[in-house]
Amino acid sequence: MTFLAFVFILVSLVTFVAAQLVLKRAMEFSTTHSMRNSYFISRIALGVFLMTISFFLTLGLLQRFDLSYLYPFQGLSVIFITVLAAVVLKEKVSVRLTIGALLITAGIVLVSLS
Amino acid sequence: MPNRPSGFRNPWLQLGVSVVCVFVSELLLKRGATEVAAPDHALSWTGINGLASPLVWWAILLIIASFITWLYVLRYIPLSLAYPLSRVVDILVPLGCWIFLGELISTLRWCGIALVILGLALMAQPVAKMEERL
Repeated sequence: MTFLAFVFILVSLVTFVAAQLVLKRAMEFSTTHSMRNSYFISRIALGVFLMTISFFLTLGLLQRFDLSYLYPFQGLSVIFITVLAAVVLKEKVSVRLTIGALLITAGIVLVSLS
Repeated sequence: MPNRPSGFRNPWLQLGVSVVCVFVSELLLKRGATEVAAPDHALSWTGINGLASPLVWWAILLIIASFITWLYVLRYIPLSLAYPLSRVVDILVPLGCWIFLGELISTLRWCGIALVILGLALMAQPVAKMEERL
């Protein structure tokens, strides 16, 4: 794997994870505010934009690498999202939930390696 | 979780709907893409010729539905719980390929599927705890 490919994989992962965090924030905001709100709409638009970048980067990577090679990196998103939900969104993440997330990640990696 | 709606609007049910939409869309995409496969076509690498298959269009509709239900889920369920649970789709897809598309599952893949199920089982308690807080 070249350095450039690594950068692309990293960017597609980071944009996907960031999109989930932004969308979660926006939807949480919508429980107390109207959806016809510029903050809400701009956040949803940002989330969709980030997901689109991630989607096309993944599509480009798929043309150059096997899905089984790229998929384990996607499995890592479970860990990143769980950790960042705790740190950025201040969600309560128990030990049990962390171990569950780790097992799911390991499982996804195994499924894609086989 | 702010006053959770019940019935069809139950966020846990919607999480299930979102996962099923993704699962079915993956199978439809695979069926649709092979149905109209034309590797010699100039634009084949973009996958755009897949749009010739009605199955691909059904898949696109399901992907949109899964995104909308996912946004709804995010409104009520913490991301740290909803996202790992949503990855159940990563074992449903290989299982679906095995059952519906006649693809084989290796021993290593079965082990991976078992690990994901174990991880999901561990999440059952945090899910129950969240329900209690309501």
